[in-house]
Amino acid sequence: MKHASRARLLASAAVAVTAMAATAGIARAEETTLTFVWHAGTCADALVDIAKDYPDKSVKIVPALVPYGPQWHDKIASEFAIQGDAFDFAMWDSQSTAEFASHAVKINDIFDKSSYLKADIFPPASLSRYGEYPDGSGEFYGLPANQDAYGLTYRKDLFEDPKEQEAFKAKYGRDLAVPQTYQEAKEVAEFFTRPDQGLYGWAQMGGRDYDFATTASNSFLWSFGGELYNPETFEVKGYLDSPASIDGVQAYVDMFKFGPPGSQNWGFDEVNTAIQQGQVAMAMQWFYFNGSNADPKVSKFADKVGFAVLPGAVGRDGKFRRQFSVGGQGMGINKYSKKLPELTKFMEWYFEPEQQKRYAAVCQTGLKAVLESPDWQNLNSYNKQFSSALAYLNDYWHLPEYPVLLDELQQEISAAAAGTKTVQEALSAAAEKNERTLTRAGYEIKRGESTPEVPDQTISPVGQDNVVPVE
Amino acid sequence: MASSQTTTTEDRAAGHARRQAELRKRSSGRLMIFGFLSPSLAILLFMVAYPIFSLIYYSFYNFSALRQTTMKPVGLSNYTFLLSDPELWQRFVFTGKFVFICVTLQMLIGIFVGYQLQKNFRGRDIIFTLLMMPMMLSPVVVGFLWRYMLNSEWGIVNYLLSSVGLPKVDWLGQTNAALWAAAAADTWMWTPFIVLLATAAFRGIPETIYEAAEVDGASPAYRFFRITLPMSAPVLFIALILRLIDSFKQYDLFVALTGGGPGSSTETVSYAVAKTAFSYFYTGEASALAVILLLIITGLSMILVRHLTKMGEKY
Repeated sequence: MKHASRARLLASAAVAVTAMAATAGIARAEETTLTFVWHAGTCADALVDIAKDYPDKSVKIVPALVPYGPQWHDKIASEFAIQGDAFDFAMWDSQSTAEFASHAVKINDIFDKSSYLKADIFPPASLSRYGEYPDGSGEFYGLPANQDAYGLTYRKDLFEDPKEQEAFKAKYGRDLAVPQTYQEAKEVAEFFTRPDQGLYGWAQMGGRDYDFATTASNSFLWSFGGELYNPETFEVKGYLDSPASIDGVQAYVDMFKFGPPGSQNWGFDEVNTAIQQGQVAMAMQWFYFNGSNADPKVSKFADKVGFAVLPGAVGRDGKFRRQFSVGGQGMGINKYSKKLPELTKFMEWYFEPEQQKRYAAVCQTGLKAVLESPDWQNLNSYNKQFSSALAYLNDYWHLPEYPVLLDELQQEISAAAAGTKTVQEALSAAAEKNERTLTRAGYEIKRGESTPEVPDQTISPVGQDNVVPVE
Repeated sequence: MASSQTTTTEDRAAGHARRQAELRKRSSGRLMIFGFLSPSLAILLFMVAYPIFSLIYYSFYNFSALRQTTMKPVGLSNYTFLLSDPELWQRFVFTGKFVFICVTLQMLIGIFVGYQLQKNFRGRDIIFTLLMMPMMLSPVVVGFLWRYMLNSEWGIVNYLLSSVGLPKVDWLGQTNAALWAAAAADTWMWTPFIVLLATAAFRGIPETIYEAAEVDGASPAYRFFRITLPMSAPVLFIALILRLIDSFKQYDLFVALTGGGPGSSTETVSYAVAKTAFSYFYTGEASALAVILLLIITGLSMILVRHLTKMGEKY
């Protein structure tokens, strides 16, 4: 009897275990996980939050987040190098498209098959910026999932203070206003630099990490008429270290005089802290962070800051240019993923206006329907400026050698910001290294007889005769 | 005569049989040894020898693991490119300075603290446990922690300096200051390791030797330099070797603390290997650099291990 009950007990346990295993097996078989790589932050959290409401409950969106910086690029690149499918889709920088295109799904194929996901639901410039490679080819490897641009954050309370306005006018002979040029910005920064009061005029990134220094310095370089290289001849010498490029980077380095001590080494965290503690009158910062900088729960100065488009500059040729770095990321698909049908369905849903409106409440969408709606424009104190900023964006090299070229430029700009090299020395060294990298990668450098003083005039002229203000 | 000849032949035969049996025994013993060793050898071959041979093989090619281009044999050009690059030599110089500062500070502080902790006193175990904590952290965490502490505006280090009237220092924005900052972080993290080994070594010295020295009127300094240090030298030397090798490989601390900057002034050789391999994806060039680093570390280890063996024979 004892043996019989033990046998029954064992048999029941075996049946139960088998049943549980089978159920779990069915559950596993039905559930699809779509893993994405991005840098951790508000926007990744927003995506995860929105994805929770995806109607197909058998599909789960799993984030694989890393800190912003080289680790993020390296995580995506390493997986592509082994042709692995540890992630299904990823958000990567616009300039990484060239490097990752050979490992990504060509989005044109999805556009052809999908009834909703078409190229025309995105602004053409945004789609091109975040997904097209080679430039102008009409081949896309990413969707504009998270747009971003450099912007200006300033202390409204200081700019609107009548005493400050009066003192500024007495000193500089003009009204205190949000600067339209870096020449004006320098004066305003100088005016507000009062270390004895713990107040400084200007904050910007200068750190060695990833692209911190160069996203800022490039914005100056382009506005003064400089260029990183000549995309037709692949010449870097004479372009990156042209007189106009030197003017721009010199203006960038000079602005550190009006920043808190040690800000030459700052990244975006430090710039945000300076804004949130009211330590600076103006800061060059990504629109990405405006949500938190305007949030009273995060910033003591949330109600005192205003947002504007970054200034431009009057270059040595007398022309006015306003050009600054594009930020944000495109959404690309890992071509080694085995879940493309499920992923396509998810993306069709995710890029519908309803979901993108939710996303746009915290981050910057790339969906035309949302960007054009008055609701979005008036949603907060900076969307209108962001909308204007999109017209002035410029980007790094769109070449597969981007990470090498970037690191070489970062090294040199960081050295110039730290004062260990002059701007001329740093840009000449960077041009030398960049040309060496391009040559080793097989590009033929066609050296011209001369190089322009203001490269923008010969490459993609955007100079205007007068300063064109942006409200 | 015939009988003696027969005996010699028999003896020879018996000797031959004995030798054969011994040989069989020896060869079966060898087989057994080989049998026991072969799993470990196979794992070692797979885990160590194969990657090293691959590394050497790839170092003669121009290729990228990420960019799908054909592998081109380039002979020694990866090596000649690297060895003629002045930046690589700057990295070696920086790494050398960093290793020298860190290891010197860690050994001096570690031996001093270890000597104090070998004594029995109340709360010794609690202090010992607390001292071990930095070593348990990840170097990346330590890097970020020190980055915040050394922040020129809001860091506690500058706050303390300014509270006693000293000027603020831009610790991470200047080449020399960044070197000392990184050395301080590494020393904070790894001195406990020396303390741990030094304490164990000091406590292993028989008490009777100290008692005899005391009877002979030896001063505490004499006892330390003539008994404690020489008798614990082999252990301390092992600690020195481990710290030398580990400091030479330092990478993750710099990623979090300085990002290699300002400029490229705080990039160690290991930092350059990792960057070339996984950011640039210059796989051939990174392999050549790793081979150079491997040769240096192996050479350094061989010299130190030879000293250690001699030291073992002496004490």
